[in-house]
Amino acid sequence: MALLKYESNVRPPLVEGKKDYHQVTEDIVRPIEGPPSKLWWIGFLVSVALLLFGVYSVYREVTYGVGEWNLNKTIGWGWDITNFVWWVGIGHAGTLISAILLLFRQGWRTGVNRAAEAMTIFAVMCAGQFPIWHMGRVWMAFFVLPYPNTRGPLWVNFNSPLLWDVFAISTYFTVSLLFWYSGLIPDLATVRDRAKLKWRKYMYGLLSFGWTGSTKHWQRHESLSLVLAGLSTPLVLSVHTVVSFDFATSIVPGWHTTIFPPYFVAGAIFSGFAMVQTLLLVTRKVLKLEEYITIEHIEVMNKVIVLTGSIVGIAYLTELFIAWYGMNKYESWAFMHNRLDLFSPYGWSYYLMMGCNVLSPQIFWFRKLRRNIGLTFFMSILVNIGMWFERFVIIVTSVYRDYLPSSWSTYYSPSIYEVGFYLGTFGLFFTCYFLFSKFFPVIALAEIKHILKKSGEDFKPAMEPIEEESAETFYKEVSHHH
Amino acid sequence: MAKKKYWQSFTELNDTEAHKKLAADEFREELPFESGDGKSFTETPASRRDFLKYLGFSTAAAMAAASCETPVRKAIPYLNKPQDLVPGVADYYATTYVSGGEAIPVVAKVRDGRPIKLEGNTLSSFSRGGTSARIQASVLDLYDTARLHAPMMLSGDSRTAISMEAADKDILAGLAGGSVVLLTGTISSPTTKQVIAEFLAKYPGSKHVQFDAVSYNALLLANEATYGKKVIPSYHFDNAKVIVSLGADFLGTWLSPVEFTKQYAVGRKVNQKNPEISKHFQFESMLSLSGANSDERYTHLPSAAGTVATALLSAIQGQGAAGVDGKLKAGIEAAAKALNENKGKGLVVSGSTNKDVQIVVNAINEAIGANGTTINFASPIQTHQGVDADMETLVADMNGGKVGALIVYGVNPAYEYYNAKAFTDGVKKVKLSVSLNERLDETAESCKYIVPSHHFLESWGDAEPKAGFITMLQPTINPLFKTRQFQDSLLKWSGSAVTFDTYFKNNWTTKLGSPTAYNKALQDGVVETPAAVAGAAFNGAAVAAAVTAANALKKASKNELVVYQKVSLGDGKQANNPWLQELPDPITKATWDNYIMVSPQFGKTELGIDISDAHQADKYEVVMDKPLLNFTINKKAYKLPVLIVPGMQSNTLAIAIGYGRSEKSGRAANGVGQNAYPFLSYNGTTVDWSTADVEFEKWDGEKTPVAQTQTHSSYEGRHEVIKEVTLNDYKKNPKLIIEEREEEIGKYGGIENYTKEGTLYPTYDRPGIKWGMSIDLNSCIGCGACSVACTAENNVPVVGKSEVLRFHEMHWMRIDRYFSGDVHDSDSIQTIFQPMICQHCDNAPCENVCPVAATNHSSEGLNQMTYNRCIGTRYCANNCPFKVRRFNWLDYTGADSFADNQLTSGVGKLDDAVFMMNDSLSRMVLNPDVTVRSRGVIEKCSFCIQRLQEGKLKAKKDNRTLEDTDVKTACQQACPSDAIVFGNANNSKSEISKVRAENNERIFFALEQIHVMPNVSYLAKVRNVEKLSAVHHTEDNVPETEGKKEPAAAEKH
Repeated sequence: MALLKYESNVRPPLVEGKKDYHQVTEDIVRPIEGPPSKLWWIGFLVSVALLLFGVYSVYREVTYGVGEWNLNKTIGWGWDITNFVWWVGIGHAGTLISAILLLFRQGWRTGVNRAAEAMTIFAVMCAGQFPIWHMGRVWMAFFVLPYPNTRGPLWVNFNSPLLWDVFAISTYFTVSLLFWYSGLIPDLATVRDRAKLKWRKYMYGLLSFGWTGSTKHWQRHESLSLVLAGLSTPLVLSVHTVVSFDFATSIVPGWHTTIFPPYFVAGAIFSGFAMVQTLLLVTRKVLKLEEYITIEHIEVMNKVIVLTGSIVGIAYLTELFIAWYGMNKYESWAFMHNRLDLFSPYGWSYYLMMGCNVLSPQIFWFRKLRRNIGLTFFMSILVNIGMWFERFVIIVTSVYRDYLPSSWSTYYSPSIYEVGFYLGTFGLFFTCYFLFSKFFPVIALAEIKHILKKSGEDFKPAMEPIEEESAETFYKEVSHHH
Repeated sequence: MAKKKYWQSFTELNDTEAHKKLAADEFREELPFESGDGKSFTETPASRRDFLKYLGFSTAAAMAAASCETPVRKAIPYLNKPQDLVPGVADYYATTYVSGGEAIPVVAKVRDGRPIKLEGNTLSSFSRGGTSARIQASVLDLYDTARLHAPMMLSGDSRTAISMEAADKDILAGLAGGSVVLLTGTISSPTTKQVIAEFLAKYPGSKHVQFDAVSYNALLLANEATYGKKVIPSYHFDNAKVIVSLGADFLGTWLSPVEFTKQYAVGRKVNQKNPEISKHFQFESMLSLSGANSDERYTHLPSAAGTVATALLSAIQGQGAAGVDGKLKAGIEAAAKALNENKGKGLVVSGSTNKDVQIVVNAINEAIGANGTTINFASPIQTHQGVDADMETLVADMNGGKVGALIVYGVNPAYEYYNAKAFTDGVKKVKLSVSLNERLDETAESCKYIVPSHHFLESWGDAEPKAGFITMLQPTINPLFKTRQFQDSLLKWSGSAVTFDTYFKNNWTTKLGSPTAYNKALQDGVVETPAAVAGAAFNGAAVAAAVTAANALKKASKNELVVYQKVSLGDGKQANNPWLQELPDPITKATWDNYIMVSPQFGKTELGIDISDAHQADKYEVVMDKPLLNFTINKKAYKLPVLIVPGMQSNTLAIAIGYGRSEKSGRAANGVGQNAYPFLSYNGTTVDWSTADVEFEKWDGEKTPVAQTQTHSSYEGRHEVIKEVTLNDYKKNPKLIIEEREEEIGKYGGIENYTKEGTLYPTYDRPGIKWGMSIDLNSCIGCGACSVACTAENNVPVVGKSEVLRFHEMHWMRIDRYFSGDVHDSDSIQTIFQPMICQHCDNAPCENVCPVAATNHSSEGLNQMTYNRCIGTRYCANNCPFKVRRFNWLDYTGADSFADNQLTSGVGKLDDAVFMMNDSLSRMVLNPDVTVRSRGVIEKCSFCIQRLQEGKLKAKKDNRTLEDTDVKTACQQACPSDAIVFGNANNSKSEISKVRAENNERIFFALEQIHVMPNVSYLAKVRNVEKLSAVHHTEDNVPETEGKKEPAAAEKH
C-alpha cells in the first residue's frame, strides 16, 4: 500500500538509538541522580577558581578605581565593553533556537534548546557584569534606574543608548529566564517524581511548582510557551540592535554606522551558535548524550554558522565600501588606516577578525566538513575568537585614532585585572553551566518525547504487515476500530 | 497684679477635664504599632504591611549605619572674625614673583588667609599682566612639603633643628672671623642692595658675589666692549617689523620672556583691514619655543652660531653671507634683506653665551638702526647681573682657603654650577657656611647652618627688573614656618635693631614722600618712572676681532650637544613643583623628565627608526618606551633617553637643565631626569652652553619610558581642525578661510544657516548670556601658562609620571602641537599650537549619551559637568571629538569615599608626587570654590564657572548688565600673548563679539563639519612665509577619497 507516507526520505531521525520513552527519561535524568563524575568536579573547581579570580579583579577595580585597567584618556572603553558585546552576542542563540525555531516548527531544536537557553541566560548574566562594573562609581549604578527620587526633577536620560541598554538587556534577561524556566517545570516534576531522597523530592517539588501533568497544565504550558516565544522573537532582534546603538548613535568615525543593527544581530547569532556548538560538543560527550544531540544537530547549526558568517562578511565589506564611497575622510581614515592597514598598530586584529569570521566558516559549504566533530569544535572556538575581535576592532580601533591626531592613543593592551575580569566571567559562566548540568535536565525531556516518533525508521517493522495489506482491508480495519 | 492669662482655645480657657487630660497626655500616645484588635504589635502576628515597613526601615537603617563614611576634614571657623576678612570672599594683594633674578609683578588672590592663585599685575607697564607657567605654579611652592620648617645645624653627619637665637649666636661668632662672602642670585631690589651694603660695611674685607644659574654675562661683556656700558638693554619686539633671533628663545626662556611675549604678540596680531604682521627669522640648532613660532627657521650646528652671526653681519653690510652655504646662506641673506629694508624697525637677538658673538650681534643691530629704536639703553634689564668670572674666582678662593664665611641665598651652586664638586669641596674649606635657601637643596646640604628664608609670598621687599620699573613685595600670609626673611637675617647679623619690614617701610616712605604714597605703592604693587627710549654710543673697535673670534668657534666634530632651559622648569629652582613637572613641554609634549632631543635624521641613521615611514613612526609613537643610549659627554658616562624631534638640526643633540635634583630637594623633583649642568663648561670668560665633546655607543635596543601627553605630531591634513594660511595668500584672497569653511559645510546650509540646516532637530533661540571664547592661533605661542593657571584655578589633580605614562593626565587645558614639513629637512618644519579645552558645544555629543544626564547644557551655553551625578561610564569621553574629557582613573586627590585606596605598587600605583599633593600642607593651595573631584568621575573645563558666577553676582549687586571686566577665565588671564578672549557673545559690545566680528575672515570652529556647534572659536594662523609646508609623512597613505590635499592656501591660488 503506497498510500501511507509515514517515512521521511529526506530527514534522518532526530533521536538515534531506538529509544523508548522510559529510556529517554533514564538517559537524561541519570546524570542528575548519580554523583558527579571526576571530570565534572575538575571542571567545576577550575570554573570556581576562575570566578574567584574574577571577583578579586573586580574588587581591585572597585576599590582602587578603573585605573586598575589600562584604558586611557582616548580609549574610554576597551576590554570591558568588548566583552560585554561579546557575551550579549553569545546570549542570542538560545532564544533564537527556542523562540524563532519554535515558531518555525523546527523539530530538531528540542535536542539542543534547553542547553542553549541556559547558555543564553548565563551569557547574559556575564554580559551584564561589564556595563555594571565598568562604571567609575558602581555604588551609584542605581542612578540608571528611573525610580522616583528626592532629587527634584532629576531623571534618567532617555536619549542615551546606554539607558536603552539597561532596558533591553534586563527585558531580554527576564523573558529568557521565564521561557527557560517554564520549559523546565515538567522536567523538574519528572525528576521530583523519580526522586528517592526526601530533600531531593522536597527541592524539586518546590522547583516544579506543583506540576501534576494534568491536561490543563499541559494546555497552559503550551500556550505560555507560544506566548513567550512570541515575546522573545522580537527581542532576539532588538537586544543586539540596541547594543549596536551604543556605537551607531555616537559620532566616533567607525562607530557611527547605520549598518550596525542587522550586522550586530547576524554577528550575535553567528557567535551564539558557535558557542552552542562548543558547549554541546562537550556536553554530549561528557554526559553521553550523543543519541540526543546528534550529528544532524551539529550539521544544522554549522549551516546557520556559514550563513550568518557570510552575512557578517558582507557587512564588513559594505562598511569598507561605504567608508571609501562615503567620502568622509574621518571614517575612511578609521577603516583604511586603523584597520585595513595590516602594519598599523592594530591592523593585525582586523585581519584576525576577517580570517576567523569570514574566511574560515566557508569550509562549512562542504557536507563532509560540516559533519566533522573535531573540526566543528575547532571552528566554534575560532569563530568566537573572531567575534571577540570584531567587537575589539569596532571599539578600540575606532576610538584610538579619531578626530584630533593630538589625542591619538598609545598602544592599549589590557592589565592583568582587565583580563582577570574577563576570565572571571568565564568562571561565572561555567560554574553556572556545571551546576545546571548537574541539577537540571540538560535536554528538554518532555519536548524531546514529542519528536521521538518523528522518524519512521523505528516503526518500519511494525508497519510492514500493514504495508502489505490492501487499501480496502486497511480501511475496513481502521473504520472498525474507530 | 493678677497673673495675666493667655489662652489658645475655649477648652483651654474653660480648663475642662478633657483638656486637662489632653494636655497631660499630649506626647504620651502609643506609637501607632497597634493592630486592629487593640493588641500591641509585639503580641500580634505582624501584618504583611507591617512586615514590609519594618523591613524597609531596618534595611535603610542598616544601610545608613554601614554606608561608606567619607573622611571628615574639620575646618575651624574664626572665633573672632578679623576685621577685613569675610570668609568666602577673596582679597587681592599686589606683590612680586621672584625667582633668581627674575621679578614679575603679580597679584595674589587670598582666600581665608591663604594665597591660592597668582595673576599678572596689569598695572605694570612692562609685564602688562602677563604671566608664565612658572609664575602660575609658584603659589604651590609656598606650600611645598620640602620647605624647611626651622633653622638647622649640621653636627657631625646629622642635621638638627635649632632655634633662631642659637643659630644667630653661632653665625655671629663665625662672621667675626671676617672675609665673608655673600653669594646670591642677581639682586635688583634697591632696598635689599642697601641692606647688603650695610652688611658688607659691617664686615670689612667681605664681598657680594652674584651668580646666575643661567648667565647673560656675554651680553654684559659685549655691551661693555661696544657701548661702554656693562648693562643689558631692554628690547622692544613690539616695535620690530623684522625679528631675527640667533638661537635666543626669547618667547620661552631668554632673558625676560613674559615681557617679550607681550611685545611679540603686538606684532603678530592680524588686523584684517590691514593684514600686516612682523617677520620672524630664527636661526638655531634645536627646536625652541621661539623657533616653533617663527616664520622662517634655519638650522645650524651649535658651534656655527658665530659663523651665522658674522655671515648675517656681512650680508647686511652688502657683502653677502660668507662662510655658510645652501639653505642657511639663502636664509641669512633673506634675513639681511628684510632687516635692511626695515632699518630702525628690525631687531636681532642672540642666545649665544659667547662674548664675541654678542659683539657681532651688537654690530648688526647698530647696522640696522636698532640701537635706540628696538633696543633701549635707557631702562636696562637688571635681572641678570652675574659675572661668570666672579664665580670662578670665588670657587678658587674657597678652595684656596681664602674665604672665612660663606652665606648663600637664592642660588644653588652645588647643583647649578657646572663644576658643582669644586664648589662643594670649597664649601668644606670654609669655616662658616650658611645657606639661607628655603629648602634642603644641594647647596644647603653642604652648608653647616641653614637659616631658611621666607617664600616670596611671605616676604616684604621690592625689585627693579628694569631700571625705572620697581615692583613691590608684600606678605600675603603669615610665615608658615619658623623661617626668617633673607634681609632680616642680614640686618640681624649687621647688628641692626630694626626688622626688615620697618626698614623697608621707612625707606619707601622717605623715598615716596608720604605714608599715603607708600600705601598706594604697596596697593598698586608697582612704582614706575620710565625713561624715554634711548640708544647708546656705539664703538665698533672690537668688532673686527670679534668677527674673527666668532668665526673660529666652529668645531669639526660630527655631533654637538646643546643645553637648554625648558619652558616649564627653567633653571630648575622650581623643580619640586608637581604642576610644572606635569606641564608638557611645548615642543616634545613630554612631562616629568629630561632627555636628549635628536633629529629624525639621527633616528634614522643611529637608531634605525625612520619616522618619515608611517609604520615605523607608528611603532615609535604608540609606546612610551623610548631608546636609552649610553653617552659620553665631557668625558663622563651617562645613560639618557632619546626623543626624536622634527626640526632638530641633523647632528645636534639637546638636553634640558633643571632635572636630576637630589633626594632632599623634594618628593616631586626626586628621581626625575638627570642633571645637565655638568655639560656646561667655562671658556675663560663665560660659561658655554654647548659642547662638541659628545659620543655615544651604538644603541643596543634598551628602552626607558618617557611620559608624553601627545604622541602623534602631524595633523594629517585635517584642515577642519587646523587652519593656516600664508600672509601673501591671505592678502590676495582674504576669503580663503571662509571659502574653505563653505566647502566643508556648504552643503548643510553654509556658514549663515548652518546651525539650523545642519541638523534634523529643531534649533532653539539662545537669549540672555551666551559664553564664548576666541583663541587666536596667530598670537598663541604655546607656552603653557594657561594650562598651569587652569590647574591652579580648578584644582586639577596631579597624576605623576606613572600615570602620564598610562595616558591618564588630567589637564583641562592642553596645547596640541603639530608639525608639518619634511621631517628630514629641519628647515622645512613648521609648528602650530592649538590650545584645546572643552569646546562647550551647543549640540554636544557628550550630553546626549550620558545615561544619567550628569553632563548637560546650561541656558548660558555652558556644557556642565555634575560630578555627584556622574557614575563614570566614560561614554561622554569616547563621544567627545575633541577628547577633552578627563576621567579620574584612580584616587588622585584622596577625596574618595574609600579610605586608604591609593596604591604604592602594582597596577595603578601612584607616584610620590601625588601623595605630596595630597599632603594637608599642599592642599592649602586648593581653590575652595571648586569641588575636588573624587575617583570615578569625569571632569573637564567648565569655563571657570565659579568665576562666571562671581562676576554675574557682582553685576547683579550693582544692578547693571554684565561687563567684560566682570569675568575672565583663568587661562585668559594668564595668557602672556592675549590670545584668549572670553565673554558674553550675545552682548554686541563685548570683547568676544568684537573679536569675532572684526576677524570674521579668519574665524573657524574646530571640526565644524560635524555640527557640534562649539562655543570656542579659533582664529586661523597666518604665517609670514612663502608657502606652507606640506603635512608630513602619513599623507602618502591617505586614501583616494581624501585626496592629497595641500594646506588651504597652497591649493587655492
